[in-house]
Order: sequence, then C-alpha cells, then structure tokens
Amino acid sequence: MKKLFALLLAVAMLMSAAVSFAEVDPANVQETLVIGTAQDVNNMEPYMQNDQINNNVICLTHQSLIMLANDASETGITYMPMLAKEWGWEDDNTLVFYLRDGVHFSDGTLMTADDVVFTYETAMDPSSHISGVLSLITSVEARDDLTFVIHTSAYSNELTSNIASKSLSILSRAAYESGMDEPYLIGTGQYKLKERVEGQYVELERVEDYWGIGYDSGDDYGWIIAPGNAKTVIFKPILEAASRVIALQNGEIDVCIDPPTTELQFLEDDPNVTVLEAPGTRLFYFGFNCEKAPFDNKTLRQAVASAIDKDTILQVVLSGKGLTQNTVLNRGVWSFYNEDDLGAYTYDVDRAKELMAEAGVNPGELTVDLYSATDDPYKTIAPIIQANLAVIGINVNIVSLDQATLKSECQAGNHQIFLWRWNVLDRLDEVYSELFSTGFATNYHHFSDPYVDEMAVEILTQKDESIRYDESVELQKYLAEESPQVPLYVANLVIAYRNGLSETYLFGGGNHNWAHAYIDLSAK
Amino acid sequence: MIRYILKRLVLMIPTILLTSLLIFWAMSLTGGDPVMTILPENATVEQQEALREEMGLNDPFFVQYFRYVKGIVQGDMGESYVTRLDVFQTFMGRLPMTLALGGTALIFSVIISIPLGIWTALNQNSWKDTAGMIFALFGVSMPNFWLGLMLVLLFSLTLGLLPSGGSGGVRYLVLPALTVGLGLAALITRTTRSSMLDVLRQDYMTTAKAKGASRRRVIYRHGLRNAMIPIVTAVGMQFSYVMTGSALAEKVFSWPGIGLLVADSITKRDTPMVTGSIILCCILMAIINLMVDIIYAYCDPRIKAQYSRKG
Amino acid sequence: MSQKSTNNEGFSMEILKQYRGRSLAQETVRRLFKNRGAIVGMIFLIVLIVVAILSEFIFDYNTQIIGMNPLALYAAPSAEHPFGCDNMGRDILARICYGARYSLLIGIGSVAIGLCIGIILGSLAGFYGGVIDNLVMRANDILYAIPNIMIAVVVVSILGTSPASLLFSLCISAASSLTRITRAAVMQIRGQEFIESAYAMGLPTWKVILRHIIPNCLSPIIVQCTLAVGNNIISASSLSFLGVGIPVPLPEWGAMLSDGRAYIRSAPWMCIFPGLAIMITVLALNLMGDGLRDALDPKLKK
Repeated sequence: MKKLFALLLAVAMLMSAAVSFAEVDPANVQETLVIGTAQDVNNMEPYMQNDQINNNVICLTHQSLIMLANDASETGITYMPMLAKEWGWEDDNTLVFYLRDGVHFSDGTLMTADDVVFTYETAMDPSSHISGVLSLITSVEARDDLTFVIHTSAYSNELTSNIASKSLSILSRAAYESGMDEPYLIGTGQYKLKERVEGQYVELERVEDYWGIGYDSGDDYGWIIAPGNAKTVIFKPILEAASRVIALQNGEIDVCIDPPTTELQFLEDDPNVTVLEAPGTRLFYFGFNCEKAPFDNKTLRQAVASAIDKDTILQVVLSGKGLTQNTVLNRGVWSFYNEDDLGAYTYDVDRAKELMAEAGVNPGELTVDLYSATDDPYKTIAPIIQANLAVIGINVNIVSLDQATLKSECQAGNHQIFLWRWNVLDRLDEVYSELFSTGFATNYHHFSDPYVDEMAVEILTQKDESIRYDESVELQKYLAEESPQVPLYVANLVIAYRNGLSETYLFGGGNHNWAHAYIDLSAK
Repeated sequence: MIRYILKRLVLMIPTILLTSLLIFWAMSLTGGDPVMTILPENATVEQQEALREEMGLNDPFFVQYFRYVKGIVQGDMGESYVTRLDVFQTFMGRLPMTLALGGTALIFSVIISIPLGIWTALNQNSWKDTAGMIFALFGVSMPNFWLGLMLVLLFSLTLGLLPSGGSGGVRYLVLPALTVGLGLAALITRTTRSSMLDVLRQDYMTTAKAKGASRRRVIYRHGLRNAMIPIVTAVGMQFSYVMTGSALAEKVFSWPGIGLLVADSITKRDTPMVTGSIILCCILMAIINLMVDIIYAYCDPRIKAQYSRKG
Repeated sequence: MSQKSTNNEGFSMEILKQYRGRSLAQETVRRLFKNRGAIVGMIFLIVLIVVAILSEFIFDYNTQIIGMNPLALYAAPSAEHPFGCDNMGRDILARICYGARYSLLIGIGSVAIGLCIGIILGSLAGFYGGVIDNLVMRANDILYAIPNIMIAVVVVSILGTSPASLLFSLCISAASSLTRITRAAVMQIRGQEFIESAYAMGLPTWKVILRHIIPNCLSPIIVQCTLAVGNNIISASSLSFLGVGIPVPLPEWGAMLSDGRAYIRSAPWMCIFPGLAIMITVLALNLMGDGLRDALDPKLKK
C-alpha cells in the first residue's frame, strides 16, 4: 500500500510539472537544453518510422491533430486538442476534425485542411510504414479549409489513438510539391531542425515566428501549443548507459534518459541532480509458441507459468524498480485488471510440479529452446528463466539472437518459448488483436482462439463503456487461464536531470514531449 | 614508379570486387530480415511482403549482387536500412572521427615506443631492458577494451578528470587514444628493440666502432638509419591493428567512428551499411598500404630500383 | 589482432648446421628451461589447464556457474567470494575458473584448425609456386585487407553465437597468418640440397613435403602458434565483448567483462577480474612464445 501511495505521488508530481501553465521569465531560462538519449535519431520522416527516439524529436518540430494525455487514468480525458480544436464521430463511418485557425508551418505557409488531407493520404499509401494501422480508413477529405473528414469502413473506439500518434504529424503539401530536399522537416511545431550529425547529435532551434505565440486557444489546452522556452534543444546519443550518467553528473547533458538502476545510488547522492521515478507502461514478458509441441499443451504452459519467479527477475534486472504483473494488458492502460481473482498462474513451485505431472511430462525429459535478444534486459532475464525451469525439470537452451532475427523467427514460428516486450500507450487492440488474435504478424504466440478473436473485435467497437470494461476484464481472465504469455514486469520510468528542469510532459513508456522543457536557472 | 602505383590501383579492383562478393554473400546468409528492422513492429504481413518485393529482396542472389555492383560503379552505395541516409556519406561523416582516434593513437605510440625500443636495445640485459620489456609484454597481452574500461574506472570514475564516453572536444579523445595507443606502443617497442638489436650485431656497426666513431654517432648515424626500415614497415603494418583497436575503443567510449558504425550496423542487420563500410574499409586499407609502400620505396633505394625494374 | 606478432621472421636452417651433434628438440628444451619467463608462463598454463579440467568436478554447473543467488547480488570481494559476485549473485572466481575452458579451447582449438589449413595451403603455395601460389596468396591478401575482427563478426553473425562458430571464425585469421609463414619457410628450404637428394632417392612429392620440408620449418610455426593462441584468446573475448561471441549464460571471460561493463561503477570487480584473467593467460602464452623464439633463434644467443 505504501508503495502504491508513493507511486501515486510520483504520478501527481509528474503531471503537475506540465499542466500548470505558468508564466516563464525568459531571464531564468537556460538557453540550451541537452537531452542525453540511449539511441541515435534514425529517421525524421514521420510516417516512415514509428521509433520512440524519433518521435521524441518529431514532437518538437511537428504537431498532430490531437495529443494523448499522460494522466488519462486520473482525469478520464485521454486526448487533448492540438491542431484540431474539436472532433467527433458524425456517424459510424465519419470522423470529423475542426482545425484551429491561423496555424502556419515553420516556413511561414498557412496550414489548412488540405495539408491534413495530404498527410493522411501519404500515410495511407502502401509504401508508408504505418499504412497497416490505418486500414480502417477508406478515404479522407477537406470539407472546407478548417474541416477535415475521415471516412471509415466501420466504427472503432481506438482510431483516435492512431490520429494522436507522432507518425501522423501534419506535413506541408506545399513543401513536398516544391521539390525541396527533406520536405518532411517542415512542420508546425515549436522548433525546427538546425543540424543533424549522424552518430553525434540532433540540434533543434526555436521557430521565432511560431504560430502559437500569443495564440488564444479558447480552451484549457493552450499550454500544449504555447511556444517553446529553451532557445536550442539538443538530443545527444550516449549509447552507453553508465557514460550517460557520468555525462549528466559532469553537466555535459541536462537530462539523462533511462539511467541504469544500479547507478541510481550515485545520482541520488548528487546534489545537482534529481531522479524522477514513475510507473511505466512497457511490459516485458515471456511467451510460448502455442501452435507447436510441446507448448500447444495448455497445462504445460500453466506449469511453466507457475515456475517463474517474477519478483527475483525484477530484483535482479532492475533492482526492484518496477512492478510485476499477472495480466497481459499493460499497466496504466484503461481496464487494466491485476486482482487476485484474475486466476493467473503465479509463482508456486509445488503447483508447477503438479501441473507438470498432469500435463504428462516427466521432469528431465523436456529440453526447449528459449529465443532471447542479445541485449539487456533479455540477456539477464533468460538465465533466470533457465534456472527457474530447471527446478521443475525442464532444460532450457538459450538461443541469443539480434532483435531483427528474433522477430522474423518468432513471426515464422520457429521458436518454442521467447522473451519480448510490448509497449502500449492506450489502445487495448494493440494487445488483444495484435498479440493474441489469429493472423496478426505480431502474434508471436501463434495463439489462435475464436473466442479471443471475437472478443477483440467486440471490445474495439463496443460503445457502452461499462459493458466494454467488463468484456475487457473477462478477456484478461480468459487469457490468464489460457496462458499463452507469462507477463513478467513493467519497468518504471526513470529519468535523471539537472535540478531546475521544468515544463516536461513525460510518459511511462518513454514517448515524452519536450516541447516546453527548459532548465530553470532560478531553481538550480 | 607512377606505372607501379597505377598497376597497384588497377589490381585493387578485383580484390574489392571479390571482397564485396564475399561480404554481400555473407550478409545474405546472416538471416535477420531487413524488413523487420525497417517497418514498425505492428506492420502487417502484406506490408512486409510488399516492401520485400519493392526492395528486391526476393530476387535471386546474383541479381541482387549485380544490382549492388552496378550501383557502386555509378557511385551509389545504397541507403542505410535504419537511418535511410546515404551509406557513402555516412561513412565519410564518421571517417574523420576514426582517423582522429587512430592518428592520435599512432602518433602517441610512435613517440613513446621508438625511443623506448632503442633505449632497451642499447641497454640489453640490464634492468632498464627488463623494465621496458615487461611494460611491452603487458601491453601486448592486455585486451585493449579492458584497458579502456580500466582507464574509465581510474580517470573518469575515481579521479573525475576526463569524460567516460561520447564525442566533443579534445578531452573526449584522450582516453580512447590512450587505449589504442598503449597496446600499439607495446607492439612497436618490441619491434624496434629487436630490429635495433639486429642492426647492432651487424658487421658495419663493428667496423664503424673500430674506425673510432663516437658511440652516439655510431648509434644514430649508422644504427638507427638501418633499423628504421623494419620499424617503418612494422608501423605501416599496424593499420589493421589500429582499425581493430579503434573499433573496440569506439565501442567502449561510444566514439562515433567507423568501428562503432560497423558494430551497430551488424547488430541491426543494416546490410547496405555493413557491406558498404567494409568495402570502403578495404579500399582505405589498400590505399594506406600503398602509401606505406611508396614511402618505404623512397626510404630504401634498393626497393626503389626493384620497382623501376619491374616497371 | 594476429598482426601483433609480426616479428618472427628470420629463422634459418643454420640452427640445424650448428647443432648437428645434439638434436634440435633437445637443444631447444635445454635453452627454454634456462629462460625464467618461459618457465613461469609454462607453470601458469599448466595450472590453468588443470583448473579448467577440475572445475567440472569442483563446481556444480547449474547452481554455481549459471544459477542465481539473490542474496549475493553485487557482493564485494570478501573471504567467502575472493573476486566478489556479479549481477546475479554468482561467484566470479568460480566462473573464471570454469570459463578458462572456453578461452583455452577456443584459443588452442582455433589455432589447431588454422594450423592444419595453414600448413597445407602454405606448403602447397611455397612448394609449387605459380598459379597455386598466386591463388592462395591473393585470397590471403583479401583476408589481410579486412581487419580480422570484422571477418570474425561477419562469420559469427552467419553461424549464430556459439563456442563452435567463434572457434571457426577465429581459425580463419590463424590460418591466414600460418599460411604466410609456412609458405615463406617452405620457399626457403625448397631449393636446398637435402631436398634434392630426397627426390633423387625416388620419394613422391607429398612424402618429401611431409617428411623433409615440414619438419624443417617447424620452429617459426611453433612460435607463431603460441602467439596466435594468445591473440585468439583476446580476439574471442573482444568478440564476446562486442556481443557476438559466446551466448549467455556461459562464463566466457569476454562475455563476463561485457556483462560487467554496465556495473563498472557500482561493482567494478565484475570488470577487473575477468580482464585480469585474460591478461595473465595471454601474458603466460607470450612469455612462452618469446622463450621459444629465443631458444630457436641462434642469432639471439647470448
């Protein structure tokens, strides 16, 4: 209970940072904000990627129609207006967005519904990397300069989530048609790209005539479109986590993303540095290939699930900085249900041995391959699972693969058991359909069950919220019993920064928005 | 001489072609579908197949290879799967970082090792020789990435003097260059010592001494000059070591050079980047080796004569 | 990495002429035993081999080597754990002892395979010259142009990470340098009188190569092999460090170092000891290699 309270407090702190839309005194703003990241930016063309690191940069240079809130579980409001001031379903096949007036791109041209149409049509083209998730959309049109309409083949509870994604940031048709190099760099955001040196840094500078300066939003969400505070924002990749921490302590960077938990003790002792810890949403799990022997046997899956000691895994991998869970839905997502009556198979060696006997497998007879990525945390989790399963008499052979190979192998179904992760912002469908429904490429469990398939669609389209909630809980219970997956833990969001970092807007899964962040010199 | 250089340059072409074929073939066997790297995780099977088709990944191996070679001939080494940046430009963008690291390490090691090698040779079998040789022996026995980590432990973590990784000013260069340079210095010290010892045993040294030349004159005028040739060759031959050592040091210190580029690209299965970088590395090495040979030829008139005879 | 030992040319058959009375092997052993460094190196290597073999019986693989001990996570060096414990509470000393077998097997195994390939290719190239020589040496030039570690990384990424593929990838560079050395030695001996007399006696070519040429160019090869074992141990650990070596949870030294790297500040012993193990082993091999070279080289006779 104490732990829960501490987490809630952390959430509250997390929120208060951004939502309070205070006047910022420019004299107190440190000119440059340097963010030390764990990866290098690899692509800045919004619809041709969906990587967190790119999205972190894109949300400074571009804006989408609406924005996902990081505190939906408190306020009940999931999406906030950004370039669109209002939106809604006109009927089951029509979703309408009313755009803000007077928005212009960083090159000065006015943004209209035509640019939005252009963006969506580009993104829906099969060559776009995100076209797959937009298959519901049949066509888009500009009803007038400030009204954008999406026609869909059916109603969906979760289409809006895609619209809020950074991959659907609004692009300028004029820029693309001008034949300029890298037209995708023109966006409506607070910043624009100054320089990108591959492997070294991405430097963004504030747009001096940004459209949101002095803009009256007419609603409570003016802070979203307010101008940026720092003059320059630099994303600097320091791939080695330990080096990143040292760089923060030396003052070379202002923000350190994902400091390793073993280094936190040094940071906590440092008077110039603050460590922020909040619940995360990225779920690490252990999965079965349910299509292939021996794990097409449900009882055997349950036996394995009962043999895995999640608390130790969390302790070893993250020094306990996270939360274990038993349901397949990511923590923090609406209708997350992790109560005792979920019926999950939790750590209980005696029960595991009983289930092994029931499944008809004699200890010592079974040897299986565990497919695991070569990087952290998988390479640390894999030997623990190996040790756990040795206790019930299953020999595990660890097969270490790079992530691309792991994904192809799992998709092709060559694996028996595997370790992977799934990060969900708010869409239930990302779990129920993409992980567990028949025919989805990311269903690495190769789990196929007509009931799950049917419920996934039902939950996607059910408009009554309380019925939908019950259905979602019911499905989680069903999946806990079937055990195609053993959820392990959700890592906490950990960020360390120089004292005085203000106006951040952070997400537990890492899709942060740094558009207003700056170092407040008076608080340093 | 010019004809010789041209001939060497022409001979590079089949070597490069064969290397590219080997690497291209090897990368085609590595598994790890590039489509999985390029597309977002939740892309549909149809999308994956369409991209595979568009990129020509379903074509037979030799069709793909021929297309690749055709691209190279036209000056196009392709785009990275991961960053979508031009391979050649990315490589060239990283090259100065590796050259700075390798160059500094080489200069540093030469400054330490040649005097040390001569000094130990002149004091053969004394405690000075033993001390120098123990240093060199430790230097060649140490995995240089481990040395790098120990330097980080000492200079960054304990003393807080230097950054432990990343890139920026000269301060960032010190530890990686030391890491590569110390191992290299140990190697060159050993070579210098033994080649100096060889020379000291030669008859002309005895003759020079017998003629009554001062010890200093004998050593510097007669000894060092003749010992220099094997030393220069040895230094020239260490470029492969410098490249390898830099790759590891780059990994330890997150130094954004070619080694880190290749290592990262391999783990991400970024085939065009890996293939292109290795081919460019080979060209680079071939050019460096050629330059060493030319310098070498100018140092040693016997070799120069040989080359002009060959024509 | 194998370029580390470029300086062992200059062996000549004068040795043979000089010590007609006593056999070359006896003379070499006698001289080797006078070299203190070589003795120390040899003793260490023998101890290491014994430890590597015995560790199978001393430690329980499942509980002590790969098992977990949540109570001793990051335990600092103490009487109970002289080298401390790692991020999974495993005793580092036990893992280093057990890991010796991987390093030694890979180091020695890769050189042994490389030696077979190198002797065959090198003696063919050196003996016949012409087209064969050209083919072998051009192929060698290509391998020489690419840094060895890149070749190894590419090979490992084709074959997958396992001790076997690591061994195979490293034998390529050993084969490459041994081919060069064998070829040079064979070329030097080829024209000498005793070879011609062997031919005159009517021996077939392969027998001449096997009986007369190879035994007479063994000394540079032996020295190169000793040094190559050391180089390959370093290369193997480098590859593990780059994440393409031996997969988890096998206690290979380079892999242990690579794991320890993330904890260099909070648990530096995870980095220090495996690195020391590599260094001392390679040092012992180099001491032995240097001793052998001195013992086999009449020019360096004191």
